[in-house]
Amino acid sequence: MEYVLEIKNVSKFFSGLVAIDDLTINVKPGQIYGIIGPNGAGKTTLFNCVTGIYAPEKGSIKYKGKDITGMPPHKIAQMGVLRTFQNIRLFKEMSVAENIMAGYHTKSKQKWYHSIIHNSFYKKDELESWKKVEELMNFFDLSDLATTPTGDLSYGKQRKVEMARALAASPELLILDEPAAGLNENETIELTKIIKSISEMNIGIMMIEHDMDMVMNLTDYITVINFGKEISQGVPSFVQDDPRVIEAYIGSDDENDKEDANGK
Amino acid sequence: MNNKTTITIAFLAIMAFLPLLADSAWLSIGITFLVFAVVAFSQDIILGRAGVFNMGHAIFFGIGAYTTAILNVHFGLEIIYTIPFAIIFSAIIAVLLAGPIIHLKGDYFLVATIGFNIIFEQVLSNDIFGLTGGPNGIFGIDVIRIFGYELFSDTAIYYIAFGLLIITLFIIRNLDNSKYGRALYYINKDEIAAKSMGINVPYYKLFAFALGASIAGVAGSVFAIQYSAVSPESFNFMQSVMFFAIVLVGGSASLPGVIIGTFVMFVLPELFTEFKESRYLIFGAAMVLTMILRPNGVWPVTFGNIPKFLRPKKGAK
Amino acid sequence: METFIQQLINGLTVGSLYALVALGYTMVYGVMKLINFAHGDLVAFSAYVGLTIFTQFYGSNALTLVNIVIVFSLTSIVVAFMGVLLERLAYRPLRTAPRLSAVVSALGASLVIQNGIMLIWGPNMEIFPSDIFPSTTWNFGGVLISYTQFVILALSAFLMVSLYLFINKTKIGTAIRATAIDQDAAKLMGINVNRIVMIIFIVGSMLGAIGGLFIGVYYRGLTFDMGWMYGLNAFIAAIIGGIGSIPGAMLGGLLLGLFNAMISGYISTEWAETFTFILLIIILIVRPAGLLGHNVAEKV
Repeated sequence: MEYVLEIKNVSKFFSGLVAIDDLTINVKPGQIYGIIGPNGAGKTTLFNCVTGIYAPEKGSIKYKGKDITGMPPHKIAQMGVLRTFQNIRLFKEMSVAENIMAGYHTKSKQKWYHSIIHNSFYKKDELESWKKVEELMNFFDLSDLATTPTGDLSYGKQRKVEMARALAASPELLILDEPAAGLNENETIELTKIIKSISEMNIGIMMIEHDMDMVMNLTDYITVINFGKEISQGVPSFVQDDPRVIEAYIGSDDENDKEDANGK
Repeated sequence: MNNKTTITIAFLAIMAFLPLLADSAWLSIGITFLVFAVVAFSQDIILGRAGVFNMGHAIFFGIGAYTTAILNVHFGLEIIYTIPFAIIFSAIIAVLLAGPIIHLKGDYFLVATIGFNIIFEQVLSNDIFGLTGGPNGIFGIDVIRIFGYELFSDTAIYYIAFGLLIITLFIIRNLDNSKYGRALYYINKDEIAAKSMGINVPYYKLFAFALGASIAGVAGSVFAIQYSAVSPESFNFMQSVMFFAIVLVGGSASLPGVIIGTFVMFVLPELFTEFKESRYLIFGAAMVLTMILRPNGVWPVTFGNIPKFLRPKKGAK
Repeated sequence: METFIQQLINGLTVGSLYALVALGYTMVYGVMKLINFAHGDLVAFSAYVGLTIFTQFYGSNALTLVNIVIVFSLTSIVVAFMGVLLERLAYRPLRTAPRLSAVVSALGASLVIQNGIMLIWGPNMEIFPSDIFPSTTWNFGGVLISYTQFVILALSAFLMVSLYLFINKTKIGTAIRATAIDQDAAKLMGINVNRIVMIIFIVGSMLGAIGGLFIGVYYRGLTFDMGWMYGLNAFIAAIIGGIGSIPGAMLGGLLLGLFNAMISGYISTEWAETFTFILLIIILIVRPAGLLGHNVAEKV
């Protein structure tokens, strides 16, 4: 298997308007793949198509060689495609540990009757689940906050919990939507290290990010999109000097911010 | 022992000894309280945990009661054997009703369940297939026999209802500490995040429905046994509004919350009979006031239900 | 054929009542995303207030047109005041609270009004006088239209057209539509959202008040808890048309009225409500946004 994710000629329309237009992207296992572009370019829409929140009108999406186009989100997640959200979607009232446990949902083997009667299988499974949560809390340095409601955490910590939650599902493709948004410099450095070490576990990573320094020194490959179309593709050093990219960024008008107007 | 366990044990201890102190009027209020508390807890699984806006919970309570009544009166089945049917019928009907509409968003779902409840009332009142007895319902339900003993005293029925409450609390505790129970909370708090974590949202919502409905069904059977009669108005839409309000006024997924809610809605009016006329007016005002002062209920739930070895040591932070 | 046309006329009459009440639901839902469960009870309250004014001030003598106009206006004002009070006391404090809290508050408010009516006017049925409008009935080839029906149809049509113009052609109407689409953006554009909400409650309650008076005049029997059933029917009408859509509420009301009349006329009166709710559930499954509503994609 060469690619963990193959996006082929995918297009998505919203009431006649094109949001993404004929995109083709291939992600290898262990690769960190950056998606950049001005606001409203259709980056989050692309992620929503891959994770099944939206069904694309045209093209196909394959994960590990299997067609996942138009599948419901929970099936895609069960197969091993996990994500974080641009506007952070944690279970705010619930503790850090409980949030991370959500990611382990697909791994737990409990059946419906284990919610009524707790037998020895249940006890083993439950302990294994929480051990995994413990492991992740250690990895992300969150152990001290195990019982803290995630709504009370700083932005940086919340982003970490969201990543830990996604990792708990043992994904083979991790999709990060602006992981550094709202972080300070130190947190960004820490995050960069974390993402690097996740990719070393042979997990494919696809990320949207506006922090260009981070994108340039973290990603292996980049696709630049604008108005839903690919305008450039290549290794960071190539993309950085591509005149089409420079033009798109300078020419872009942030106030015509379609994506934000649509988003929360 | 944490706070929640203490409260639960104290509450159960009081309820266990109540029959020793109470006269028969109090005992029957006690039974009503226990039965309605079980129904409220079962609604709390659907509404409080899964976060599904179910405004037709009286249907499942009613199906249990009518199953027991019909099987006993029309088919001569012993009461005790009607209970498994009450459980199964309630669960099946819950899944059949909720299944086609489970994808609907909050308010739409709520209105659809109101619709189901009104249809249910009409089905009961129109004496469908000659089984439900029309507006007057069914009477002459047998006493319950267990191992040849006839349990007809109020005290016996009290302890049956009490046993049911204990089983319900036991199930809820187990549910809260399981994959399924947690999935319900995740769905409630953020459906999109939940499905992005691989949670099959409609499946778990229907699971909550089936579980909640079957518990309500048993409570219905006990209700039928207590009064040895059933009639449509005990399961009308107004009752569903009450069960809906109890959970939210008390506090979703909160044990003391649901107990307080049930007590206020069903027991207080029995104690202050002189206010019976204005009972609903006072409730209504209390509902508005509680929501304004405490939007998450009188006694909101606290999370952080995780094993001891994961809890940060004191002073570590 | 005559029966059919007769049911059509009856259905349109009842449908106009539903439409008037449905407008209140849909306007509040459009702006506040809240099912105003107390609206049906305000409608019932209006019928009682109207009845009291009729009997108190005019006895059972034949009423003049001026008197009727006075009663209708007075009742609308009283009910509009109640509507504003309802919003201030039960909804405004919960504008930012969790959705379900507002739903419970709405249910609570409904209970308060309903049982308030019972405490004031008693639990027994009150009867509206039969001679408010002349008992003239026109006969068009076997199809009967009573004076009352004519007034209901004509006045409802007039009110609905006026509302449509108000919403679509005036500055306040534009502000209402803007607030319904995006409250925050409306606020940034200098729209006073509290004022818009108040206007919505005034207009919605007044239309509901007229609906309530018509219910009294047409059906004559009043019970303190009748608001629930009329309210639910009107709410279903709003959903059928597409909740949040003003033309939708009008269309939904008329269609539901026709549907009810046809069911009662040709199939069964015992199961009328069951059919209504089955229709609702089918609409919700097939087209939850209603006939004239728009499906809004969920934002992620």
